Amino acid sequence: MSSSWLTTRAWLLMLPLLAVMVGVIGWPLAETVRLSFTDAKLVGTGGDYVGLANYSKMLTGSAFQKTLWATLWFALASVAIEMVVGVLAALLLNEKFYGRTILRALMILPWALPTVVNATLWRLIYNPEYGAMNAALTQIGLIDAYRSWLGEPGSAMWAIILADVWKNFPLVTLIALAALQAVPRDTIAASLVDGAGPFRRFRYVTLPHLAGPLMVALVLRTIEAFKVFDIIWIMTRGGPANTTRTLSILVYQEGFSFQRAGSGASLALIVTLMVSLLALAYGGLLRKTAGRMD
Amino acid sequence: MSALAIDNLTKSFGDVQTLKGINIALDSGEFLVLLGASGCGKSTLLNIIAGLAEPTSGGVSIDGRSLTGVHPKDRDIAMVFQSYALYPNLTVARNIGFGLEMRRVPKPERERAVLEAARLLQIEPLLDRKPSQLSGGQRQRVAIGRALVRQPKVFLFDEPLSNLDAKLRMEMRTELKRLHQMLKTTIVYVTHDQIEAMTLATRIAVMRNGKIEQWGTPEAIYQRPATAYVATFVGAPPMNMLAGIWREGGLQINGLDRMLDLPRPKAAKADKITLGIRPEALQLGNDGISLPLRVDVSELTGPELIVTGKIGTQRLVASFPARHRIDTGELLDLRLPADQAHFFDVETGKRLNDDSHD
Repeated sequence: MSSSWLTTRAWLLMLPLLAVMVGVIGWPLAETVRLSFTDAKLVGTGGDYVGLANYSKMLTGSAFQKTLWATLWFALASVAIEMVVGVLAALLLNEKFYGRTILRALMILPWALPTVVNATLWRLIYNPEYGAMNAALTQIGLIDAYRSWLGEPGSAMWAIILADVWKNFPLVTLIALAALQAVPRDTIAASLVDGAGPFRRFRYVTLPHLAGPLMVALVLRTIEAFKVFDIIWIMTRGGPANTTRTLSILVYQEGFSFQRAGSGASLALIVTLMVSLLALAYGGLLRKTAGRMD
Repeated sequence: MSALAIDNLTKSFGDVQTLKGINIALDSGEFLVLLGASGCGKSTLLNIIAGLAEPTSGGVSIDGRSLTGVHPKDRDIAMVFQSYALYPNLTVARNIGFGLEMRRVPKPERERAVLEAARLLQIEPLLDRKPSQLSGGQRQRVAIGRALVRQPKVFLFDEPLSNLDAKLRMEMRTELKRLHQMLKTTIVYVTHDQIEAMTLATRIAVMRNGKIEQWGTPEAIYQRPATAYVATFVGAPPMNMLAGIWREGGLQINGLDRMLDLPRPKAAKADKITLGIRPEALQLGNDGISLPLRVDVSELTGPELIVTGKIGTQRLVASFPARHRIDTGELLDLRLPADQAHFFDVETGKRLNDDSHD
């Protein structure tokens, strides 16, 4: 059998999959790029070529900038809290105590829930009339009257961040817990003999072994948080007063609610570019961390 | 007063008793090696001395001070681990000085101590490096340096050379011996390597199943092993153990017609006995008791020639200087000097020679 036949056969075998990939990824992407240079509406005719008008309109619009800040705020706050809470939970679950195995299994639960279920659950908790949050806070005397947590611009974003943290910190815990198993017992023993207290022991013995895996968790979580859509859409639809509107929601509104397919497409591509840059930057960071970790 | 005293110490994990009444009294400046196969409890004992594990009963004291309930950092000990256990993101200098840093020793004093330890271990050029940039031997030097700067009453070593390759292990062994001769600090050293034990120790405790099987100087352990276990554990190739029976006119080795003209020790009450012979005790010549050996395998290791064969129905190993030429199939007339015969009880494994109780 000649090698050229082998090559041909390989291509033939891959052809169906290639066709599917071109069909469901390649073509829509190309269409999005094409649409982004037109003033097409969601329904109706194809629209006319408008050059970079969509891009300049989107990038300079106040909605975009406000939304970008909201997205960054959500991503930074939720990921930061998830990392801290996740690592603390992992340290706790790494200690020996009665019921540890059950608690470890239970901890995965929020992460295993579909986001839609999680978001609905928290909407019920935040309900201004019969929500558990209001009941709990009034009963312990922290607030005087029931509040609409998701209805007030001051608290809506925090309420969503709390819900997101509850759902996603278990991923960080899981990764950190796995990494903690790799912390050498000898080095912990050495630090005890050397006289390091719990904080120094964490700083010089535990943390160096956590850094690499936590970097992976950080990358995954940041990129996901930057793209956040479903949890917010279900809880507030971007409101009140657009205070919880993130980039993905803006894309959806532009393209579907306002039916402006052209500018919606340009916005979608801008967001894609930003996430790609984020992924690239983190990729570099990861390689650097891996190198330092030997 | 002993530099290190261990008093009737036991340790249990659930139903399993890993240490069954350990008693040790060690003078200042001694180099004690806890020698034993894995699972004998030697590392557990070391961890209890370090304070990393609590004994179930009994106690440890250093210079007469009881260590019960004392934190590892306050025990005036320093420990070197098999895996080096360095802090990965600190420089060599900070690794060595870490114990002093934690004790809030002022910086100039700390730096002086680190430099002195580094000079002693010949790792001065490495002080600014991270552990990941060091070889295994260099890492172990850093770990030893970290113990040295503390100037503790007792050094604890947990199989420190096991992760090194053979050549480096020998170098570090000599290095450790040199350090001990220079510093004269009390050392407790855990290993399963009998060569390390023989070369380093001033005192060996051979451990087995949570007990000290024999306590003594390396010479005593080698020349007068207290049990059959110690006899076969220390020495390479190990001591030959031949089954035999006392009869009129001497000892008969199973499978051999001839009687061996060996004096029956007073303690040998039972007729059955185990005769122990070190491979290097067997000689070619005319003096001593004659043992015929048909050679099956002859191995040249370099410095010595190791010969394996059958005596009667039992296997026997003998070793000679390499200058001898012995071929497979040859029938040797080996000679055993009478004072080189070791006798052990078949049931208890205890040494029965008349010198046993000195």
